[in-house]
Amino acid sequence: MKLKYLLFIIIPASFFSCNDDPDPGPPPPPTGKIVLEFQHLYHNNPVQFDTIRYLNAAGNLMMFTEIQWFISDVTLYFNTGDHYTIDEWKDIHYIDTDIPSTLSWNVLDNIPAGMVDSVTFTFGINEQKNQSFLFVNPPESLMFWPNILGGGYHYLKLNGKWIDNLQRVSPFNFHLGIGQIYDNQGNITGFIQNYFAVNPAGPSFNIEQGKTTAVNIIMDVDSWFNTPETWDLDFWGGDIMQNQAAMAAACVNGRDAFRVSLKY
Amino acid sequence: MPQKHKYTKIHKIFINNDITFVNFSCFSAFVAKNHLIKLILPLLVFFSTLTSCTKNPDVELIPAHKPTPYEIKIPFGFPTKLNIPEDNPMTVEGIELGRYLFYDGRISGHADPAKHMSCATCHIQENAFECGIDHPVYINGRTHGVTGIPTPHFMLPLFNQVFNHSGYLWNGFVEEANPNPMLRNLEALTYMGIIAPHEMNSDTLSAVNAIRAIPGYSELFKKAFGTEEVTIDRMSKSISQFIRTFISANSRFDKYMRGEVQLSPAELSGYVLFVTEEGADCFHCHGGAGNPLFTTHLYYNNGKDSIFNDPRDRFGVTGDPMMRGAYKAPSLRNIEFTAPYMHDGRFKTLDEVIDFYSSGLINSPYIDPLMHHINNNGVQLTPTEKANLKAFLLTLSDHDFISNPAFSRPENLPQRFNLSGPSDADRLFGR
Repeated sequence: MKLKYLLFIIIPASFFSCNDDPDPGPPPPPTGKIVLEFQHLYHNNPVQFDTIRYLNAAGNLMMFTEIQWFISDVTLYFNTGDHYTIDEWKDIHYIDTDIPSTLSWNVLDNIPAGMVDSVTFTFGINEQKNQSFLFVNPPESLMFWPNILGGGYHYLKLNGKWIDNLQRVSPFNFHLGIGQIYDNQGNITGFIQNYFAVNPAGPSFNIEQGKTTAVNIIMDVDSWFNTPETWDLDFWGGDIMQNQAAMAAACVNGRDAFRVSLKY
Repeated sequence: MPQKHKYTKIHKIFINNDITFVNFSCFSAFVAKNHLIKLILPLLVFFSTLTSCTKNPDVELIPAHKPTPYEIKIPFGFPTKLNIPEDNPMTVEGIELGRYLFYDGRISGHADPAKHMSCATCHIQENAFECGIDHPVYINGRTHGVTGIPTPHFMLPLFNQVFNHSGYLWNGFVEEANPNPMLRNLEALTYMGIIAPHEMNSDTLSAVNAIRAIPGYSELFKKAFGTEEVTIDRMSKSISQFIRTFISANSRFDKYMRGEVQLSPAELSGYVLFVTEEGADCFHCHGGAGNPLFTTHLYYNNGKDSIFNDPRDRFGVTGDPMMRGAYKAPSLRNIEFTAPYMHDGRFKTLDEVIDFYSSGLINSPYIDPLMHHINNNGVQLTPTEKANLKAFLLTLSDHDFISNPAFSRPENLPQRFNLSGPSDADRLFGR
């Protein structure tokens, strides 16, 4: 009989005895989410495309038709001294003013909760990542930068028109990517990486556990043409992909073309 | 291809329950001899009930249709996102049916054989599924429907559409953004080809009845869709499946990119012109190594005109004033076979096209900013540069594609077995 009672206890117990390790260990660190919203402003107002209305410091009257660019290596710096770089599934984001869905980046990463003092990112794509065939699907693939000019992808296509010094409406393609070094015969002898790190000004913000924080990344389009150098379309012309001096000057202006704000 | 008709899970579940019952029957005999197990039995029964509560399956006693999936093989560097609607997956049987229908003039539904028209009447494989400039009926490539009504625009070639997510036709009228859900995909375009007055000028009932009346199609529909039912939806779907197999990716340029052949100095020089802003700057709209479709599939005003009165330009679709005079940038693959050029066929030769981009551009408020050489009337190529650019463009000809037997006219159409003479369409169009 004892054996019978023993079996009554053992058999049912065996069905419930295979539990996980009862020691769950330390709880995971608290995390939240972040969504990056991209805005393109001119003198603090949203760019109005397809209309000639913007006067730059050089006196060029301009219009813009579209802005397409890559942001990558987005890194959050916490007040604790820690930092976190967005890289889960996707570390490069394409922004296209003609494609509204690209103007919002719902980052998949679980971001450590805490106070973020500052954000940095790469304008364009860094040398290690900016390789041809990185993207095979549109729209990103349409940004390819020809191999003969350095390969990879355009960092930026900012297209538009301006009234040139002959009073003609002239198109411009303000395109940035890998630059080339040419010899006296026009042969390419080397390449220059024009991507740059951006340290945009902006307020601190909190990543709250279990919540999504919306952060605006603003491109001040006027800055590309006005600060710190005056960009004169009549001087640089309508195409600059094969003009490293122009791209270098443009990139100087781009460093202060971004800022961060909070979306409430 | 073999058809696999299987019955649904419910059959298997019945069998499993039978096995369970038999096992318990045997067990009960054993129990009578063993008092200890008799005590355990209730427990076992109790726990077995916990695991035996299978969901009540759907009663599907009709045979499950299992056509053979067809996998698109993505060439090197091509997009991996395919434009295949969820409700029309690619199948071997669907493609087979679509191939027959693509080439069968009876799909137009007209009783008079002289009015038979198929997709292939105009979409001719040797011309990269464009009609070509030397067509005996469509003079200079100017197509019209069976009624003689001209098509609004000249033809676009038909290949690599499985990679196209940016609309069909020169103006992108059929696109995912169309507010009418019936006008969003290749299936819609196929259907439009059947009913449009400037194409087959048929109607749903006539087209369906015409195909339904051909017994040879019954089995093809059954293999593709599970039943013999002929519907316009199934016709459009199967033809679209067939069209989605038209992949052109084996030109000399493709082989060059794969390291299989070398291009000549003239061809390479032409390629440099193609992909440089200070050269011919074709690549922003027409792709290159990084966009091997050789089109963005987007819409541009490329400087052909200063007056815009075509109601079927991109502006006619979107209402965006900047899209006046804008049309889809066609793929430059197989450009050798697809004359005449532009939406209105204004250029008969590649030389004329190159001359246009070199010095024939016309400015307007609507010209795309990518045409940044506009104030010089073009990119101003020298005769040598023009020759080199043309040499490069000819490397985009895919002779394997235009002769691929998988895309060709079937030897026999249903109910026309051992056909030795020309088809109705052949007779009509003198082929």
